[in-house]
Amino acid sequence: MLFGTLVYGFINSSILALLAMGFNLTFGISGVANFAYGAIYIFAGFLTWIFLNSIGINYFLSVGISILCSMIVGILVYQVIIIRVRGLILSEVMATFGLGLVIMELFRYFDFVGFRYTLPVFIDGSISIGGVYVDYQRLFIALIAVGMTLFLYLFTHHTKIGLSFRAIAQEERTALTLGINSDFYGALSLAFGSALAAVAAIVILPLGTIAVEGGYEVLINALAVCIVGGLGSTVGILIASVLIGYAQTFTANYLEPHWMILVSLIAIAVVLIVKPSGLFSHQKELEERI
Amino acid sequence: MRRKMWILGLFLALFFVWIIPGHTVRAAEPIILGVPTSLGFLEGKEGLDCINIAVDEINSSGGVNVGGVQRPFKVVAIDARGAEPGVPVSEVIKVHKKLILEDKAHIIAYGSFRSECALACMDMVGKYKIPMLLGTAMSPAMEKKVKTNYDKYKYTFRVCLNAIYLVKYLGGAMGYMGKQFGFNKVFIVNQDVAWARATGDIMIKAVFSKMGWKVVGRQAYPTGASDFSAALMKAKAQGAQVILPIFDMPQSGILVKQWKSMRIPAVLAGFISPLAGPAAWKSFDKKIDGAMNAIFEIGNIPCPKVPKSVEFFNKYKKRYGRPIEAGHSPAPAYETIYILKEAIERAGSLDGDKLVVELEKTDRHGAMGRIRFNDGHQVIYGTDPNETAMGCMMQWTKTGERVIVFPESIAEAKIQLPEGLKPAK
Repeated sequence: MLFGTLVYGFINSSILALLAMGFNLTFGISGVANFAYGAIYIFAGFLTWIFLNSIGINYFLSVGISILCSMIVGILVYQVIIIRVRGLILSEVMATFGLGLVIMELFRYFDFVGFRYTLPVFIDGSISIGGVYVDYQRLFIALIAVGMTLFLYLFTHHTKIGLSFRAIAQEERTALTLGINSDFYGALSLAFGSALAAVAAIVILPLGTIAVEGGYEVLINALAVCIVGGLGSTVGILIASVLIGYAQTFTANYLEPHWMILVSLIAIAVVLIVKPSGLFSHQKELEERI
Repeated sequence: MRRKMWILGLFLALFFVWIIPGHTVRAAEPIILGVPTSLGFLEGKEGLDCINIAVDEINSSGGVNVGGVQRPFKVVAIDARGAEPGVPVSEVIKVHKKLILEDKAHIIAYGSFRSECALACMDMVGKYKIPMLLGTAMSPAMEKKVKTNYDKYKYTFRVCLNAIYLVKYLGGAMGYMGKQFGFNKVFIVNQDVAWARATGDIMIKAVFSKMGWKVVGRQAYPTGASDFSAALMKAKAQGAQVILPIFDMPQSGILVKQWKSMRIPAVLAGFISPLAGPAAWKSFDKKIDGAMNAIFEIGNIPCPKVPKSVEFFNKYKKRYGRPIEAGHSPAPAYETIYILKEAIERAGSLDGDKLVVELEKTDRHGAMGRIRFNDGHQVIYGTDPNETAMGCMMQWTKTGERVIVFPESIAEAKIQLPEGLKPAK
């Protein structure tokens, strides 16, 4: 039982990390609010389903086009909406959250309701790890989450684009004086964040069915992880995912599953009281001190 | 003179054309049916589809005779979102109030998705004396309220199955498996909502304790939960032979997939909404053979022994180009409209009190079998479609078909154990 809890706790943590990564890249690292994140996640899921089932094109092509379309949506969100309220964080949050609602409700309006919306798993079957059966899809999720975390860390610390993302969040005017076009990188950040949401959708959604209301849950989970880990910190996201993921799994296994829902909320409350900037957000901590 | 006669003739012809029934229906004031359901949920969406089928059928055949005047039904549907997590009951009550006060609904048809909302709305419809027919909410507390304070709560009726009847079908199937395969250990996994909790509680008290079964564990998951490994690991560790799931949320499909991938050696027999419809076979990669699922009302599944259920199922498919997927609610939604039509015609009025009296006299044979209300305003369900309405247990076969396995009166096949699971005796 304990080993099973550890295995599924790790998988749960990986799911949380994957869900939070794109949101963290956009809002945490680049400082551009994208509260339509959950909607883009659902958009990518439904789009892949449409390409696969309604249009009937190849799986890999469907996935590729969905990721590309999600990136385009990200760019459009910036160019059409965010650019008008850029710098006013509350307005950015409200505008993108509203857009997210519109996207999700449009899916509902166009009848994307029911249990037939599912995506295929990468490889069918399961494997026994120390007597605990785990399906291959969950193993893929864990692997991809670890890989993406590493990629995101290296990308934001060792590439020009990644450093530009961080620069526009730290001090936009200084970034402009250094030749960093903040609007270009802002839009690019939204595109990358949306692509990460799409990757998460394609990897995680095969576990169940695609449901419109799933978009809200994704946003809440991503927010919880980012608040606990500290906005903008890839390492913080990883550690927060592990903390919340394991706390949820242990709660489900050793207390009652219906308490799981409280874990993220308690974690958010505790972090906001003890360390409002999050466990690993040095940049925000400095801002708070100033 | 001749010209005058022509004009008079033309006038008379126009007059008679005007008073033919179809035109009268269009001209007469419509009977407003308020439909406050959860359109984001399959049961809500397909339920509304079925209401529209019934309303169109009735309107095209002349409408409803209200005291000698043919009047059409008019549906005013609002997505009250009562099924969604986080939507407060007060919001759902507001929607009901809007339908009654602003849209002037004469009847709330197919109201209040969740029991929590339905129970709260009973007070409101009682205040305005508007009949409300429920089609999804399942908590037996509704009947208790009607019985204990009849004058206040008599306006509420339930057409769909309630938790007690569900227990009877589930219990019957469990008893059958106990006899046939010697099973006596069960693990209950339920959604943390009123109807599912009530169903689990009643199953323990009224079924398992009486049958001598051991409930080796029970876990409740909040709406929206997406990992069920904890319950499945516990079920396996405790040696459960049957897992009884009770869920109506989309994410419960994950439980089915995990049950298969974690190779849990137990029969999955209960209610998981994504497992009920024909699309589940493809959605779950053709790996659900052996799983048993309750279909709360026949008609949602065609039952060859009840021809009207097959007729209704095919009617839906013909109109919408796809079969009914929800195991709960579409057939009651359709029947609700015909129940109302008959009651209104008997009452000859839309007065709430008169309608209640006539609704209580309902006795019709429809897609769900014979439909009559008990003294708690609940449609009576049983095992003989000529006497009562019917629910059933179906099982997925290896070829991806749904066959009814319980009750025996309408069964198409015997219960088969999934591959790899052996009888205990």
